[in-house]
Amino acid sequence: MKKVFVVEKADNVGTAVGEVIKAGETVGAEGRITQLEVVVNADIPYGHKVAIRPIAKGEQVMKYGLSIGTAIEDIRVGDHVHIHNVESNRGRGDKFEAEPDCAE
Amino acid sequence: MTEFLGYVRPDGSVGIRNYVLLLSGTLYANKICDYISGIVPNTISITHPLGRCQVRPDLRMTRRFLSNSGMNPNIAAVVVVDHFREEGCTAEDIAGDIQQATGKPVATVNIRGSGGFVNAMSQALHYAADYARMVSDFRREPVPVSKLLMGVECGTSDTTSGLASNPSTGICSDLVIAEGGRTIMAECTEWMGCEHWLTSRAETPEIAAQIVAGVQDIERRAMASGEDIRGSQPTGDNIVGGLTTIEEKSMGAVKKGGSAPIVGYLEIAERPTSAKPGLYLMYGPGHGGESLSSMAAAGCQVLVFNTGGGHTSAHPIMPTIKITGNAHSFELMKDTVELDVSGVLRGEFTIEASGQRVFDEVIATCNGRLTKSETFGDLNSFAIHRVGISI
Repeated sequence: MKKVFVVEKADNVGTAVGEVIKAGETVGAEGRITQLEVVVNADIPYGHKVAIRPIAKGEQVMKYGLSIGTAIEDIRVGDHVHIHNVESNRGRGDKFEAEPDCAE
Repeated sequence: MTEFLGYVRPDGSVGIRNYVLLLSGTLYANKICDYISGIVPNTISITHPLGRCQVRPDLRMTRRFLSNSGMNPNIAAVVVVDHFREEGCTAEDIAGDIQQATGKPVATVNIRGSGGFVNAMSQALHYAADYARMVSDFRREPVPVSKLLMGVECGTSDTTSGLASNPSTGICSDLVIAEGGRTIMAECTEWMGCEHWLTSRAETPEIAAQIVAGVQDIERRAMASGEDIRGSQPTGDNIVGGLTTIEEKSMGAVKKGGSAPIVGYLEIAERPTSAKPGLYLMYGPGHGGESLSSMAAAGCQVLVFNTGGGHTSAHPIMPTIKITGNAHSFELMKDTVELDVSGVLRGEFTIEASGQRVFDEVIATCNGRLTKSETFGDLNSFAIHRVGISI
């Protein structure tokens, strides 16, 4: 069985670190969590993340035991987790008015 | 106690290379520096597009980067070449800085002052040739790892960086510090989102406050542009590699600093005044060339560079060891990347064993083993940080 790598127990995503995982495949886990089987809903490229727990819209996406951002839609177990369903909580100049001297 | 073989300098610092540096003070002196370093053995050049028409804070920045690079212990002697006399950053200013701080031999050449390009070439060649012969008498001797100031960096990160290469380098950093050495980690953009990991290790509340202020400053500078920082951090190649947000990149990135106490905070390109073993954090951007150059200017003799996608980054005067946790990238880039630590992810060896391999590579490089980038001279990563516009 292909595996995803889970860094900490609190994480709700695992990372594909072997071959590309295809939609419909069942994967296990390596790392801090090893007792896990997840059916994957989409192709997961090498290095990308898959949800190992449901993450509701507005909840924090956890990796390294810490938040890496906020879910912007409901994420199901097995979903591909990336920029289409997670946004950063930091450095968001687009959410604030630009300072006048820098807005030229 | 681990030792390495280095060149002991007049100021007590220890070099792992023994270069004569051709240091360009301005864009217009670059060609002479490159020509001379192509002619005289054991010389190396530092060139750049700055040093003219800069706002004062930037001119001071340029002078600090150039002078402090000349102070790096890997440099045995320096020839500073310039053209116009940019007040506050002349060849004489830079040479004075280097000489005063280190006592190493420094000469200056001014293109206009020596009567044009051809005469300046001749003068620079004379100086470089004399210095090259002089420093060829210097010999390596055994010194403890406590003499080591190591930089850690990551670039073209992907998910394997945070899982394999950065943690391995973090363990290497802990080993260097356990032997009494020091490590510098810069790129405070990439501390954004995991400041508390760092502040919890800061030795004093002042250092913790400086860490937070450094991140706030770089975040404010990014937000002041009115842009969403996500366009540039994480970069496009980071996103293709699977990194989603700056926080995720930061957590992976900060793993390269290991778990040792943070004993100091440095401004960009600042030389630490303390010899206290531990991790030093340095203010600076995520730009690899500027970041590497700021750590070389601080006096780092060697740097470990972790890459996910593979990278050619290498600093001219600070040997740059490249590590990847991505087996595919290693296959593609094995002419420039030294170590493949992807076995960590396949369960073939532990992260601790991997960190020891990185440490062993660092010591071998300090003893004189060439990095892969040094073998073909692709030493591309000198860049000076800027805060303002050209005027």
